[in-house]
Amino acid sequence: MIQLVDLSPPDLPDVHIAIEAPDTVKFTGTITSRDPAADLAPFLKRVHSAVVAEGLRRVNVDVSGLTFVNSSAIRLFVDWTTWTKQEPDATRYQLRFVSNHLVTWQKTTLMALKSLAPNVVTVA
Amino acid sequence: MTEAKVKDSLVDREGGPLVRMRFRPAWAYIEGIREFGRFFCETTFEEPELAERARLIIQEALENAVKYSIPGPRSELEFSISSDGKDLEISVCSTPAPEHLDMLRRELATLNASAPEAAYLAAFERASESNDARARLGLARIRYEGAMNLSLTEENGGRVRVTARGAL
Repeated sequence: MIQLVDLSPPDLPDVHIAIEAPDTVKFTGTITSRDPAADLAPFLKRVHSAVVAEGLRRVNVDVSGLTFVNSSAIRLFVDWTTWTKQEPDATRYQLRFVSNHLVTWQKTTLMALKSLAPNVVTVA
Repeated sequence: MTEAKVKDSLVDREGGPLVRMRFRPAWAYIEGIREFGRFFCETTFEEPELAERARLIIQEALENAVKYSIPGPRSELEFSISSDGKDLEISVCSTPAPEHLDMLRRELATLNASAPEAAYLAAFERASESNDARARLGLARIRYEGAMNLSLTEENGGRVRVTARGAL
């Protein structure tokens, strides 16, 4: 079984992604590429699958250092929220976004993600 | 911010353009123009939060125009920033493919029919229910996160101007 901490994040020019044991995925930088889904969606799907397989009840998504994103990048977090929301009760886990109140995009985007799935998304 | 903070020497009180650029619709230009626009607004209006709003508006407006512009030599973007000392206006003029123009008309009509926050949340809801990568969150972000009104003007030769206007 693949565990979350065994995953290798993609190496991308403007955003650094790190997995921190036991349950944190940390993003630092910016995501403004034309098609961030091509770079990131397969990795996020692997994260989701590993979390479900491992039976984790919560993942910290640390975006506090993610200073700017385009709407295509936001779409990735919408998809992740949807995957989690659609899991059966037994394997559904909580997405806990670790935010930085000084970063403008996070205030509105994380509020909207929480409204999409109030039982899945929390914001710290 | 207050009007008094605007640098008089940098603002045309008649609302004429402070910045105007024309360029081919290439993705490679977006980051540079976005960051210039942020710097420009921070320097002119001395308001970091406004500069962040401008950064987001420029990113989303230019992305939209670049993605959906027709190819070829007639395809040119015109980008401008204007202010009369009370409002900020950011506009992008482009020549979109006809099918995109229809989509843009519908999208703006839908967005403008709802309050900004409601339209923003509805755009997230729609994105969560659709596999279409073009979930069109960008315009909803301009309106809500950017705190701007959005309008569309159709000009000669199939050119359209998307204008975001809001208080400084």
